[in-house]
Amino acid sequence: MGRIWLAIRSFYSILFHGSLPDDAITELGLTRRGSAPKPQAAAATTGPRVSDGALQILSILQRDSRLVDFIMEDIAAYSDDQVGAAVRGLHDQARESLTRYVKLDPVIDGVEGTFTKAALPDPAAVKFIGNVPAGKPSGGLLRHKGWRAGKVELPTLNPRQDSNIIAPAEIEIE
Amino acid sequence: MKYVIGIDLGTTNSALAYTEIRPDVDPFDTPDVRLMDIPQLVNPGEVRDEPLLPSSLYIPGQTDFPPGSLALPWNAEPEFVAGQLAQKRGVENAGRLVASAKSWLSHSGVDRTAPILPWNAPEGVRKISPVDASARYLEHIRQAWDHKMPDAPFIEQQVLVTVPASFDAVARELTLQAAERAGYRDVTLLEEPQAAFYAWIDRHQNWRERVKLGDLILVVDIGGGTTDFTLIAVTEQQGELSLERMAVGEHILLGGDNMDLALARLIADQLAQKGTRIDTLQLHALWHNSRVAKEKLLQPGARTKEQPVTILGKGTGLVGGTIKAALRRDDIDQVLGEGFFPKVPSSEMPQRQRRFGLQEIGLPYAADAAITKHMAQFLRQQASSAEHHRVRRGPSGLAAPTHVLFNGGVLHARLIRDRLIEVLDSWLADEGFGPVEPLTGEDLMHAVSRGAAYYGLARHGRGVRIRGGVPRTYYVGIESAMPAVPGFPAPLKALTVAPFGMEEGTSVKIPNREFGLMVGEPAEFRFFSSTVRKNDPLGAMIEDVGDDLQELAPMEVSLTSTDGGGTVPVSFETVVTETGVLQLWCVARDGRRWKLEFNVRERVAQ
Repeated sequence: MGRIWLAIRSFYSILFHGSLPDDAITELGLTRRGSAPKPQAAAATTGPRVSDGALQILSILQRDSRLVDFIMEDIAAYSDDQVGAAVRGLHDQARESLTRYVKLDPVIDGVEGTFTKAALPDPAAVKFIGNVPAGKPSGGLLRHKGWRAGKVELPTLNPRQDSNIIAPAEIEIE
Repeated sequence: MKYVIGIDLGTTNSALAYTEIRPDVDPFDTPDVRLMDIPQLVNPGEVRDEPLLPSSLYIPGQTDFPPGSLALPWNAEPEFVAGQLAQKRGVENAGRLVASAKSWLSHSGVDRTAPILPWNAPEGVRKISPVDASARYLEHIRQAWDHKMPDAPFIEQQVLVTVPASFDAVARELTLQAAERAGYRDVTLLEEPQAAFYAWIDRHQNWRERVKLGDLILVVDIGGGTTDFTLIAVTEQQGELSLERMAVGEHILLGGDNMDLALARLIADQLAQKGTRIDTLQLHALWHNSRVAKEKLLQPGARTKEQPVTILGKGTGLVGGTIKAALRRDDIDQVLGEGFFPKVPSSEMPQRQRRFGLQEIGLPYAADAAITKHMAQFLRQQASSAEHHRVRRGPSGLAAPTHVLFNGGVLHARLIRDRLIEVLDSWLADEGFGPVEPLTGEDLMHAVSRGAAYYGLARHGRGVRIRGGVPRTYYVGIESAMPAVPGFPAPLKALTVAPFGMEEGTSVKIPNREFGLMVGEPAEFRFFSSTVRKNDPLGAMIEDVGDDLQELAPMEVSLTSTDGGGTVPVSFETVVTETGVLQLWCVARDGRRWKLEFNVRERVAQ
């Protein structure tokens, strides 16, 4: 829209209708007061993001067991003994907090290595490996029981808190 | 619906048990006593139900927690943090943590109503009094109840709060004040070892078959921070077996935390010998990890002789900075067996507190860590006090229990229980008696709150009650009427105002003693108690105030009278309320009465 044409249209629109025409608003980069903001923009600032739950569990595992420290550390230089000593405590803690917030069940509650009937047709829940026939297989040896999250009970996130912070920096005052 | 609520206000942990009052139920049925989980902050922004509320209070500063992350279901912006989060954060910043408030409550060397805690808080941190801190835990528990039981408001229930048997009248009074401040009404106090015994009775309805007339039960209660002894005798009343609390020990600030810290220090020493020094924060981690390792080594059926103890590296380098150490079973046997529970003869008394000219003010921790010696002293003291015929004694005069009941988390460890029994048995053998019989099958962590709820029902006529009365003899100090000698204070005499065992719900008047009190001026009395002098009758005058009398906070009374000034002749009257609180009154000839109040403030100024 030319500047003159935009000015004239705006002038008459306000004079006769009391408001700017839609295309003039877009052109000027304005938003109408009281109109609903765009839904995506709102989610980004106030509501929970998809990644929040993931960051939260990471932050819990770091807080209780220091899992992130361990994974991010270059352990190549340390002896198995040293790694083992550190991991033992970490393992206890990580397991305790993981099982507290996420109830983990096997997908198939059977004994690994024994024949199991395949009841579930869902490829996400049961994966066939080896000499898989063309049709739906009736069963086979259970190699891995699988894991399913039975119940997730994460604490409610504080909306005023930045969930990108997985572990705070620590400063000691001596 | 109406309930009895039993609250175990512990030095390190608090718990709540409750039971329904049902008049329609057969009194010989076992009452159904349940525990209530207490919702509390366990991490910033995370409230969880936990069976115990750690008795820790954190005073948050601006930089401690993200805004809004301290909200409780019943309070969006609490002033203080109580429970697990307080305990965790307190390790990182000890200057804002209030711990062991209960021990401070019974510490007569400080003003217990003045804001003194956290004791080592830096300048500018808000402080609160030991009474206030206790009130905060009690308030948290009340609010937790109201949150979980909205149909049964807390203040409409019958509430029992337990106190150590060794708490004197002042500490009991202050505990009641804390309860009132926390919004409690009609609170009854109950002694912890008694509560533990009630819990045992609750679990053993056939208790009359387990004990017989003349038996003497020693209750050994070792908690996180304190050790408490009590003797309960099986007596007879109207042809029925009944129970009577015969003696309580002195307040000993020694418990499981000391033991775990001793193990941690041992490991720290071993590390130091190898050239690895650890700092305070790491020692805290080590303290915690030593406890875990100790429990693993001592659990029934444990075969390993050694448990690894690690302190993870500081900073983001976890593996690189990890310090490895190990706790050996032999170390535990050494530290606990020799340090805390040595095999000693019953004549060996604990070392007395050394007296320095200038003592650091702080909690009066026990100078001698040997619990067996404290136990010997307790049983001996029962002997040294003049005859009390219902206590079984050996030829040397040692009180000789027939049964022992254990309470407190420390006694989960079989090693410790066995050692205590072994030591007791050797003492009994010396006196010519057979071995002691342990009364077992109790939940050591929750027995006190359970027992308190059971006792609440007993007050409604269901179940058996232990008769006890006041566990000490109380005296007021009287200055002798002697010519003053410069440089020497007038000799002090003590008048018995409450005899040992004076029962709840009774009152006595001291005969033939009148004091002239000035109207309009506060009159102060020095106040003493004794756990060992058990046979001083009411009104008896003790000429020599010796070591067996302990001075408490003074008591004061201010007479206000409408008919001008002058001196009013008054006599003392002692009342022990139904809730177990000792009160002293001044009574004028015309029947006017004034209550004596504890003056905890004055004591410090002296």
